[in-house]
Amino acid sequence: MRLLLVEDDALLADSLLTLLRAEGHQVEHLADGDAALARLASPGHGVDLLLLDLNLPGAGGLTVLEALRRHDRETPVLVLTARGAVEDRVRGLDLGADDYLGKPFALDVLEARVRALLRRHARTARLVLGPLELDAATLGFTLDGEPFPLPPREQRLLACLLRHAGEPVEKARLVEEAFGGDPMGDNAIEVTVHRLRKRLPAGRLALRTVRGLGYLLEAEG
Amino acid sequence: MRVAHSLYGRLLAWLALPLLSLGALLLLQAGWQAKATADRAHDRLLDAASLAIAEQVQWQDGRLWLDLPPAALEMLAGDAEERVFYSLVDQQGRHITGNAELPAHPGADAESGDTLLYRDLEWQGLALRQGVRRSRLEDWRNRERFEVRVAHTREGRDALRQALLRGNLAGILGMGALAVASLLLAVRAALKPLTRLRHAIRARDPRTLVPLELSLPRELAELREALNELLVRMRRVRANQERFIGDASHQLRTPLAGISARAELALRDTDPEAWRDALTTIQATSERTARLAMQLLSLTRLDNPEYQATHRPLDLNACVRRAVRDHWTSCRQAGVDLGAECAEGEVAVNGTEWQLEEALANLIDNARRYGARRITLATLRSPPRLVVEDDGPGIAPERRLLALRPFHRGRDDGEGSGLGLAIVDGIARTHRARLTLDAGAEGGGLRVELRFAEPSP
Repeated sequence: MRLLLVEDDALLADSLLTLLRAEGHQVEHLADGDAALARLASPGHGVDLLLLDLNLPGAGGLTVLEALRRHDRETPVLVLTARGAVEDRVRGLDLGADDYLGKPFALDVLEARVRALLRRHARTARLVLGPLELDAATLGFTLDGEPFPLPPREQRLLACLLRHAGEPVEKARLVEEAFGGDPMGDNAIEVTVHRLRKRLPAGRLALRTVRGLGYLLEAEG
Repeated sequence: MRVAHSLYGRLLAWLALPLLSLGALLLLQAGWQAKATADRAHDRLLDAASLAIAEQVQWQDGRLWLDLPPAALEMLAGDAEERVFYSLVDQQGRHITGNAELPAHPGADAESGDTLLYRDLEWQGLALRQGVRRSRLEDWRNRERFEVRVAHTREGRDALRQALLRGNLAGILGMGALAVASLLLAVRAALKPLTRLRHAIRARDPRTLVPLELSLPRELAELREALNELLVRMRRVRANQERFIGDASHQLRTPLAGISARAELALRDTDPEAWRDALTTIQATSERTARLAMQLLSLTRLDNPEYQATHRPLDLNACVRRAVRDHWTSCRQAGVDLGAECAEGEVAVNGTEWQLEEALANLIDNARRYGARRITLATLRSPPRLVVEDDGPGIAPERRLLALRPFHRGRDDGEGSGLGLAIVDGIARTHRARLTLDAGAEGGGLRVELRFAEPSP
């Protein structure tokens, strides 16, 4: 994946470059807003994910984001900023950022967010989490390369959880996506989750309950 | 902002307008008076002339006879070369003698008696002033009635009227000029304090916030007081900022000193295991320091006496769900079970979303630091309430109030900044919500409740 990091702090940029390159991404680094504006000016910029600091020399991060969103609504943008207030986050998200991390952040949180964003906007038709893989075209799962057949409801539920792997998904949303908003879904979902949980390979994939909120799928080990 | 008119111009206009109308009235009155005076003077001449003529009327040869005294007519013809007319008419209205057959006066009859009746008259293309006197012979044999009509053109009257008017006009114009001049001076003098105030403001050092000391008339003194009140409020804001800078530098210096010392020590060592220990400590401390900096900023913004909250209707359930989503992963990694217990539907309050999120983040963070294993965020309705409950050590009842004070820290806590609950308290205040600290449901732990007012419909 081709990532663009726009961050003016040399120490932080250096650490992020090391981290993201170790994950196997091609990462390009720019240290000011004007350069980022120029780089992202045309639709053929070829960037798969933009990591954007808001407090930049030259054009500000929000300006860069606005300019990008004028011609490109697809490329995911993860905003990184030291402006801690949630107000800024709201403004960033309004302008079309996909996610937001306040500095300082833990590197593993950043890794997880980057992975989630790339997965959500994947141009490839395959979603992967640990041993589990989903072919979006056929909606068929494989586990360790072997076909992993599931009943339709469980399959839709797992696909939804896999798209948001690593983050809690609200129950209402799961009902919407896996049961088409069926009013009976609210109770049915617990049964379905229970069944699905038993089918998943223990110790490798975990379907966790987020008390009072929903569920979360993550890889273990 | 609307374009303001000049105060000077406005004052001048309002004062000059009545002055000018007064001047115009005076002029009109002077005109009338000049005419009246001129008429009175010349009417007396008419009176005298008609009387002189009437005295010369006699009865001779069975009819009225007038031997016209030349002085009577000369009296009427002044320097202005007026034309003078007279006629004598008998009781039947027949013209007896005279140099013109002047018309009768409609008011001249038996009742009018022996007085002169005047009128302005247009006669054969001439503007005339006419006097008509009815009289009778004072002869014991004959008491025949007759009428003397005299008239002259108006040149003399007009000349006198204009002369009188010219004199008056000069006086009025002179007074007007004097009035306008003093008006200009008065307005300028009245506005002078305003100019002084402007200079005083302009001459100030922009960094100073001391009150304006300037003696001014009452109306402007009110303006000065309003300005001074604004300055006082600005001083409070600035004092708040200065305190923040002081607090922040003090609070941040300590952990930074720790990091620096730890790094220095580690560099003296050669054992990679010691480096690893040092790096772990440094990482933990720097994270804590960054969090502290953010908390200081939030607290200062909330403590700002001029801070005006702009609350909007929002759903507490949405806040709780977002907080759980945002913090669940980090809590799980720390072995803490974070969950929600939301009331059905929406729990509507008027509030500011980022502040409530900040409050929840601080409460979750606090609970974790003090050793809770299970944290539950809950909402309740009627009245709307936001509850954060944990199974940690809790706070003893007598220490609960103290815990809300900034920089107060629990005894066995080495990590907290002592700002978390103070921030939550500040947020509760901006929401006019009541913050209560209690023991948890099973007697242990801490239950923090924010009780909001029902949102007005």
